[in-house]
Amino acid sequence: MMPDTDSAKDYYKHLSLFWTDLLYLMSSKPQALSSTGPMRAMAANAKKVATEVIEMNEKMGDFNVYLKEYYKQLADTWAEAQKKVNLKAPELPQDPEHFEAYKRIWIDIFDNDFTELFDSKAFGSNYGKMVSQELELAKHWNNIVGVALKSANLPNRQELDEVYKEIHVLRRRVAALESASRRRTKNEQKRS
Amino acid sequence: MSKKDLEAKVLEEMLRFSSNMARAPDLVRAPDEINLEITPHSTPYTIDKVRLLHYEGDKKPRHKTPIVIAYALINRYHILDIHPAKSWVRNLIEQGYDVYMVDWGTPTNMDRYLDFDDYVNVYLDSCIERVCDEASVNKVSLQGYCTGGTISTVYTALHPQKVRNYIATAPVIDGWKDTTVISNLSKHVEVDKLVDTVGNMPPEFMYYCFSVLKPFEQGIEKYVNFFKNIDNEKFVDNFLRVEKWLSDTPPIPGELFREWIKNIYQKNLLIQNKMAVSGEKVDLRRIKMPVFTQVAVGDHLVSPECSMPLHYAVASTKKTLRLYPTGHVGMIASRMSQKMVLPEMGSWLSKKSD
Repeated sequence: MMPDTDSAKDYYKHLSLFWTDLLYLMSSKPQALSSTGPMRAMAANAKKVATEVIEMNEKMGDFNVYLKEYYKQLADTWAEAQKKVNLKAPELPQDPEHFEAYKRIWIDIFDNDFTELFDSKAFGSNYGKMVSQELELAKHWNNIVGVALKSANLPNRQELDEVYKEIHVLRRRVAALESASRRRTKNEQKRS
Repeated sequence: MSKKDLEAKVLEEMLRFSSNMARAPDLVRAPDEINLEITPHSTPYTIDKVRLLHYEGDKKPRHKTPIVIAYALINRYHILDIHPAKSWVRNLIEQGYDVYMVDWGTPTNMDRYLDFDDYVNVYLDSCIERVCDEASVNKVSLQGYCTGGTISTVYTALHPQKVRNYIATAPVIDGWKDTTVISNLSKHVEVDKLVDTVGNMPPEFMYYCFSVLKPFEQGIEKYVNFFKNIDNEKFVDNFLRVEKWLSDTPPIPGELFREWIKNIYQKNLLIQNKMAVSGEKVDLRRIKMPVFTQVAVGDHLVSPECSMPLHYAVASTKKTLRLYPTGHVGMIASRMSQKMVLPEMGSWLSKKSD
């Protein structure tokens, strides 16, 4: 009997974490010798990366569910629109002058049907969930890149965001000071 | 007509089309070689990445009250001066107005914390103060287009003492009434997760939104027509200018995008007078100066139902609502905008400007 997908996933997740944890413990002593170079946090980093990759694979499954539905919605709409064109087409005479008219009908029907799809709650909801899952994948990817940046002593996303936030606060203070100074100069000019 | 004649005709069409495609590089400039700056202008003021542009006319302006145009956050301001014959800016200058434009610039990752407060109370406000100083006036006529219309509406409600006349052109106001594809996608997007993960709203998301608007007309037929009309110099020039403009949309600062999606499209706070900017309530009833609302009936980016509620929400007694039988871009950069939209706006404004 095949194990169900969830328990199989849990088993492999456990297996992977067990060995990365154990390797980390076993290598902690020799690792202390290289406490300043890029190798310094290799085992700890490897564990973080492994965890992120495992979770990313799980999320990939969820993402694929919505991606499949996305393409299904597109394919169904295409098929439906083509049926409408096929019903309409025989009404037109088969000559070059009416080729343009046929093309116009094709474009109008396809544009209408696809706009109806894109306007629908079903499409919007599935699209929102698909983007949400894609962002989950992006989060894990950011975390992996963050680990690599940290091991190279470079600022990661979170650290850069702190700098950006600080710059934003400083900009606001400068703008407020400039505005106050402008007002003061204007008042002085009025008085004189 | 026989099947043989039909095939010959179709073949002839195909050959002509292939020949046009082959000749195209010799006949037209690459979009990168096209300069979208039409009307000469100076840059009297900059703050961070935002620039205030002052357009130069041949004659001295007849009206003392200057017009400040707050362009949208999507694409760049060039559409309002895209072609000498279709330039919104040039038309207003010719009508005797002193025209300024706010170019929001291209935000980078460093700008991800910019929000409504920055755009309204810092950027737009300091630009308007600068215009007032330059023109020696206390108030300006403010025009906001599309999302720039939302920022301008918020500004006008918060700083009514600095706005003499307000012109809202296809503004995004009532998110729940918006029937466009963009509104549908906005209502379902998990904006917190998006901003926390990617920071600024990437242009690719906007390109996706554009691609689902009339996908076959805009994605196929438009380019077929371009190659078919490759010998028509005017058509080709206009086409490439608009294409170049369309393909240049800057990212939207993350925090501003978060507020936008939540307050306008998801919670619809602006029209309910419940939106707050920097802790201050935005009450549209504080807009009491003359207001001119321009709406395009065929607008598939901001539906008329989304823009029109502004007209009814403001407390102004001198307000005009005009609906034009055109689209979002057609209202500002077309023969119709030159012949109908701008003359009407100019004449409305002239009675209310010094």
